[in-house]
Amino acid sequence: MKRALATIRAWPITVKIPLLVAVLMVVVSAVISERVLSRLGDTQSRHLQELGNAYLDGLSSSLMPAVLRNDVWEVYDTIDRARGRYRGLEPVDTIVTDPEGGVLAASDPRRFPTGSSLSEGYLGEFPASGELRADDGQKRAFLQRDLVYQDRRIGTAYATFNTQSLLAERREVFLTLLATNTVITFALALLGYLAISRMVRPLRILSEHLHQGAAGNVQPITDTQTAAGSETQHLFKAYNDMASAMREREALAHRLAEEKRLASLGRLASGMAHEINNPLGGLFNSLDTLKRHGDTPSVRNTSIDLLERGLVGIRDVVRAALVNYRTGGEARPLQPVDMEDLQVLIKPELTHRSLALTWSSDIDSELPVNAGAVRQILLNLLLNACAASPPGSVVALATRTSENALTLTIDDSGPGLPQEARRFLTSEDERQDTPPEAGARLGLWLVRRLGREIQAEFSVTESELGGTRISLKIPYSDREEQRHVA
Amino acid sequence: MSGKGMCDSLPSGERQQRESLRLSRRQCLAGMAGLTATAMATPLRAQTPEALSFGLTPVFLTSNLALLERLQTYLEEMTDRPVRLVTRRTYQEITSLVVSGQVDAAWICGYPYVQYRDSLSLMAVPVWRGRPLYQSYLIADANRSGDDWRVIEGDIHAFSDPDSNSGYLVTAALLAEEGKIPDGFFRNSFYTYGHRNVVRAVASGLAQSGSVDGYVWEVMKEMEPELTGRTRILHASDWLGFPPIACARESAGARKTQLLQNALLGMEDSSSGRSVLEMLRLDGFTSARDGLFDSIARKVELVRRTA
Repeated sequence: MKRALATIRAWPITVKIPLLVAVLMVVVSAVISERVLSRLGDTQSRHLQELGNAYLDGLSSSLMPAVLRNDVWEVYDTIDRARGRYRGLEPVDTIVTDPEGGVLAASDPRRFPTGSSLSEGYLGEFPASGELRADDGQKRAFLQRDLVYQDRRIGTAYATFNTQSLLAERREVFLTLLATNTVITFALALLGYLAISRMVRPLRILSEHLHQGAAGNVQPITDTQTAAGSETQHLFKAYNDMASAMREREALAHRLAEEKRLASLGRLASGMAHEINNPLGGLFNSLDTLKRHGDTPSVRNTSIDLLERGLVGIRDVVRAALVNYRTGGEARPLQPVDMEDLQVLIKPELTHRSLALTWSSDIDSELPVNAGAVRQILLNLLLNACAASPPGSVVALATRTSENALTLTIDDSGPGLPQEARRFLTSEDERQDTPPEAGARLGLWLVRRLGREIQAEFSVTESELGGTRISLKIPYSDREEQRHVA
Repeated sequence: MSGKGMCDSLPSGERQQRESLRLSRRQCLAGMAGLTATAMATPLRAQTPEALSFGLTPVFLTSNLALLERLQTYLEEMTDRPVRLVTRRTYQEITSLVVSGQVDAAWICGYPYVQYRDSLSLMAVPVWRGRPLYQSYLIADANRSGDDWRVIEGDIHAFSDPDSNSGYLVTAALLAEEGKIPDGFFRNSFYTYGHRNVVRAVASGLAQSGSVDGYVWEVMKEMEPELTGRTRILHASDWLGFPPIACARESAGARKTQLLQNALLGMEDSSSGRSVLEMLRLDGFTSARDGLFDSIARKVELVRRTA
């Protein structure tokens, strides 16, 4: 019962209301039909009683002289001639008995022979009150009348009437009611369905837009059919206001992400400048040595070698930065060189903070994961790890490839990630996708956002180095994507 | 179709009582008729020819209004006088009217004719199937088995009229030959006052058997086969004198009687007369001889003796 109710509750309102209308109509129809048929039955009974009375009254006056004379033929002839003369009445049997109950004559003498007596069972069908009794089962009505002459009962007339036509009329009325009510019920249910469908259309539109919004595509409602000033229009306006606010916030989030990327770039640029600047002194020294002692082959070779190594270092730094921050690039598979680039990129921060990096990568071929996102995530996590670790400590990065996923682990020696930040990183709650207030945890927010894009699973645990271990498991893209990426 | 009479065969005491009753009624009716004639006849006679009155027994033809109309028209044409057809419920009433001279002529039954032979004069006798004779039938339900008419013993029996030859006297005489009377032979009996009604009573099962005019039954067989089909003939009597047309003996030579007699005897000579005969299924009318009804008279005597 509860399950059935729960199922019904789950039905759409466009079904429930028409169904309710139909059920109510059925109930109303049943009540009305019962009343109509009951009244019709009463009317028919009354009508039949009147006709029956008229029949027996008319017959009695004609029968009386013949009954007084015990004239069998006259009694029969009177009954026989009366048959069919009463419109709307269909006498089946008419029997006249003498005061002792012996049959004087009957409309069907073979069934009720003259001189015979009526059975108790048959007599029991006739109410003594003189009222007409209708028996729907037998399709007969029974009526009797005493023949009284000068205050003496000289005989009794019994009449049975065929009520089949009355029952047929009742059945016809019933079928008419049934057909009419069925048509009305269906028509009202259909009308209800159409009306409710029209009434809930705005809700459906709103629901569809909300679902789209939940999927990340917040679109304003452009409904031209809604009447101005209606509740629906107010509702749509409120939704559209909300949608535009969300779109603005989304745009803000993008801008913030971009800003964060640029901020990271700034930090790295200063590191890179430092990285480039460091060998520059040596390079200029080598140039100066070449100018002055360039004639000496050994000095020249050494200087050129130094210049080459210094320029190669600068080239690597620049190349890594270019790859990382190349805008508008398409997603491409991760390659071993991307990991090498990360080492180059993080090196200035390591040097700046006097940190050591333990690097363990088993990526020796192309992997079907978004290289750009992975590089951004790792760079941010490594920068965070560097920032959290005390000088002289170790930051570790390890990769592990499997058949269908790439697992990355970053360890630091810091004081550990705050609980709130852990929850933020690992929570499935979509509300956490909105950008943080005032730039707090902006790096982590960017990591989380990119991680969701590539369906990475984050986990935060204690590191063996004493700090935090952040692991992320990145599933490989499917073959179609791989091909596209490739 | 035709009325037939029936005559004697009642117990003598009862018969005498009945005769005296009839006589007093006859006298009474005659007196009344005379008064009426005195009061009304004179002024009428001055303007139009005196009307003829013709009595009919209520056996068969009275139920056919078209036939009565045609018969009246024919008689009026042939006599050139207004004709009034007089019908009554019983044979007895018609017999009284003719005997008392209240009607100029009447189609009565052989039985009343024999009873009032002294007071009546024969005018014509119908010819049916070439002879002025007919039979009486004892009929029973069509599904009833047995050929011996005696199976009807203990029945509820339908007679036509106590003054009918074929509808009472013949059966009473048949029983008398066996030394029995209707009251003891039948469980119950009743009169239907019409041969057609006898057929209806037997066909419906109201009576198990009935005494009916053979001529009537045969004509009904043609016209209402569904009704007669529910009955069958158990016994047919000897051929007897067909119910005659008679008038009071005193008016036998009267002008009016002559006119009516000529009309009847000449019925087959005119087309309107033939159409009447066609409806009656009769060949025509012939002059009657008194001996035609001797066999009926013998039955009356037999019944009287047995009673």
